[in-house]
Amino acid sequence: MIRFLLSLFKPFRWFIEKMGADYPQFIRILELKLTLDNRRMKGLGNNSKKATENALGKQSFSQIIFGVLFATFLIIVKSSFTYYYFAHTFLMVMMAMMIISEFTTILFDTSENVIIQPLPVKGNTISLARNAHVLIYLSLMAFNLSVVSIIVAIFKFGIVSALVFTFTVFLNVLFTLFLANMLYLVIMRLASGEKLKNLLMYFQIFIAILFMAAYQLGLNMVDKTHIQDMILPVYWYTYLVPPAFFSGFIESLSSFIFDRQHIIFIVETVVVPAFGIYLTGKYLTPVFNRKLMDLEQGDRVSKIKVETVRKSLWYRIMLLTFVRRQEEKAPFKLLWTMTGRERLFMQSFLPSIGYVLIMIIVPFFRKSFDMNELVQSNRYLLILYAFFFIGTTLPVSLLTGNNQHAAWVFKTVPLSSPASYFKGFIKAAFARFFIPFYMALAIVICCIWGIRVIPDVLIALLAIYLFTSLYYYYQQASFPFALEKSASQGGAAFVKIMGLMFIAASLGFLHYLLLHWFAFANLLLIPLYLGAIYYMNRVFVYQKISWETVDDVNNYS
Amino acid sequence: MNNPTIVDIRNLEKKYGKKQVLHGIDLKITSGQIIGYIGPNGAGKSTTVKILCGLINEYEGDITIFGNDLRTQTLEIKKRVGYIPENAVLYESLTPMEFMEFVGEMRGLETELTRSKAEALMNIFEMKSNLNQRIATFSKGMRQKVMICSALLHNPDLIFMDEPLSGLDANSVIMVKEMLIHLAREGKTVFYSSHLMDVVEKISDRIILIDQGRVIADGSFTDLNKLSNDENLEKMFTRLTGNTNHGEKAEAFINAFEK
Repeated sequence: MIRFLLSLFKPFRWFIEKMGADYPQFIRILELKLTLDNRRMKGLGNNSKKATENALGKQSFSQIIFGVLFATFLIIVKSSFTYYYFAHTFLMVMMAMMIISEFTTILFDTSENVIIQPLPVKGNTISLARNAHVLIYLSLMAFNLSVVSIIVAIFKFGIVSALVFTFTVFLNVLFTLFLANMLYLVIMRLASGEKLKNLLMYFQIFIAILFMAAYQLGLNMVDKTHIQDMILPVYWYTYLVPPAFFSGFIESLSSFIFDRQHIIFIVETVVVPAFGIYLTGKYLTPVFNRKLMDLEQGDRVSKIKVETVRKSLWYRIMLLTFVRRQEEKAPFKLLWTMTGRERLFMQSFLPSIGYVLIMIIVPFFRKSFDMNELVQSNRYLLILYAFFFIGTTLPVSLLTGNNQHAAWVFKTVPLSSPASYFKGFIKAAFARFFIPFYMALAIVICCIWGIRVIPDVLIALLAIYLFTSLYYYYQQASFPFALEKSASQGGAAFVKIMGLMFIAASLGFLHYLLLHWFAFANLLLIPLYLGAIYYMNRVFVYQKISWETVDDVNNYS
Repeated sequence: MNNPTIVDIRNLEKKYGKKQVLHGIDLKITSGQIIGYIGPNGAGKSTTVKILCGLINEYEGDITIFGNDLRTQTLEIKKRVGYIPENAVLYESLTPMEFMEFVGEMRGLETELTRSKAEALMNIFEMKSNLNQRIATFSKGMRQKVMICSALLHNPDLIFMDEPLSGLDANSVIMVKEMLIHLAREGKTVFYSSHLMDVVEKISDRIILIDQGRVIADGSFTDLNKLSNDENLEKMFTRLTGNTNHGEKAEAFINAFEK
């Protein structure tokens, strides 16, 4: 497989060398990266092996399913220009989100510098190999997402049109990668060292939320009744929109239209991605590399300010509320401290808060929105259970980080069951990152719907806590931030998220149904959830997490 | 010898897949000694230490430490053991104080006691001012010092050290050597695995040499020297591990890269 992937770069040897890279070295570095991904996927322990072996398959499957959902929306569109315009917009948004959420760490990875930098390899070669590495996974993702749209296009617009569309998908990948490089370089100009790392983190979070907002607003603003016959007009600024010129290119080649407007689209489609990637390779990557080395050096010399969050009143209240057992206290404290400093955690968790807030807020901007109708409805249940998404993002976010070899300390401590560690960890994460947001939401909900909904707020909180903890205990028993993030795992969490959304909807629906059937359903649900939480914390977790399961996943050397 | 046996290893074997790394090791270690555990790369030193510390659970043979069976009474053993691993890998986002507080609390020490001990220990290494600085900014030697302090927080009776002097500056090396001698005088046992022959020779009461997973020499340097007449431990090491032709190998090496 690796040989095959590497052979795909052979036709572009001239182009790669033109960008200042040494082709044999470029291929060798890329081969090394792909081999490392391959080894990582094979894993070390038994459980991790099972979990990671199918990661690429699961990821591809989830992306194809996502593509199916989008194609069902597209299938009714009659105009080919409009069809491809939406398809390319969807692709660009998905890829941009993937680069920001999953591949930034790969683009900014300096771990190999200590091995490759001392060798006589040009910076351009290293950077191009790094970009090519991301490009491989991004292309795979783009084709997974668009394969159904391509099949639909064959039947709707003919084979030639679909083939040209396939070609433009690849151009779209190149263009998006170029845009990401450009954006990151601009940010790199603004700061350096630790400040740059923080800036990058907040930028990623901001962009992820921005895309979600744009997507939600877009969905709510498009009049779906007219989409079938929608024909997008071409204004002067249409020429500046990448999905528009990709669509114009397809329309031109498949329908043999070569007027002035389409010739501009053709030129743009061919020139912009090629020029973009040339610019990236030749001029942007050397700057990128230099800045990247500064970033690494910055770490060594800067004294990092240490927060004293653990002394805060909020910490002490949460510790008293959540921790009863002495052996859970230290893990609770440890995780509380670490979560505030682990950038990968912040990057993967904080956008979820933005997503949920957008999902809640956007419907308020609909034309048909009526406040009186809202107050009369049970919509608060929908809002409360939307927070399930925030809760269940926590367990996933606690997994990955750069502490692969620090787990030995947990094993040397005289503790009969590692369950206490994991209980302490998830409680700290929940107390620090879920409770404050949920409390703020609860206040807003009580202001709109009145204090009568307080029992429902409590039930949803208990349900989310129960399932967040269960999800944490059911995933790999890896100590915090000890799983390495690899390019090949990008987007693998999608299947899990879909499953969790289903559980959230089911729990919300159960809550709604019970309330609908009899007024005192709360009296049933509160003790039910409390009992389940008690059982989980006292019995289940000790059965589920043993040293055997923990040893399978963690590396103590 | 009147000191009680605190570590009793019988027929210890360990395999990684099909590769056998330990071939029936038998050892009895008494208290108040510094044991120098030496051997070539891949001889099985770190594997032995990790088994004795409870980091590796799968092995053949019987081990009792402080009279407790390592398989069934691991917790009792861990309470009295300190471990300094070969690579000083710590949670980078924490400060030494936070790391030691965690270790101390998990070992049942009061937070205030842990803090005062951490301060005192780090002060000896002249790192008191770094107590609240993130570990990410530390050099290898500084990390190693944090490891040593955290392993001694709970005043263990048995200390396993896997290359503890790695990365330390000359003054710190002397200080740690003195510290080990003092610990042994107080009745503590130090199981010291290292490649530094001169250090092992100077501080060890007993030297155990393993090669390819087997004990090939065991005794004090004086006793071993009586049998072999080697002028120092390094010479003895090279002879016993069958690597006496270093000159020829160096020449072959130079020839290989000059081609």
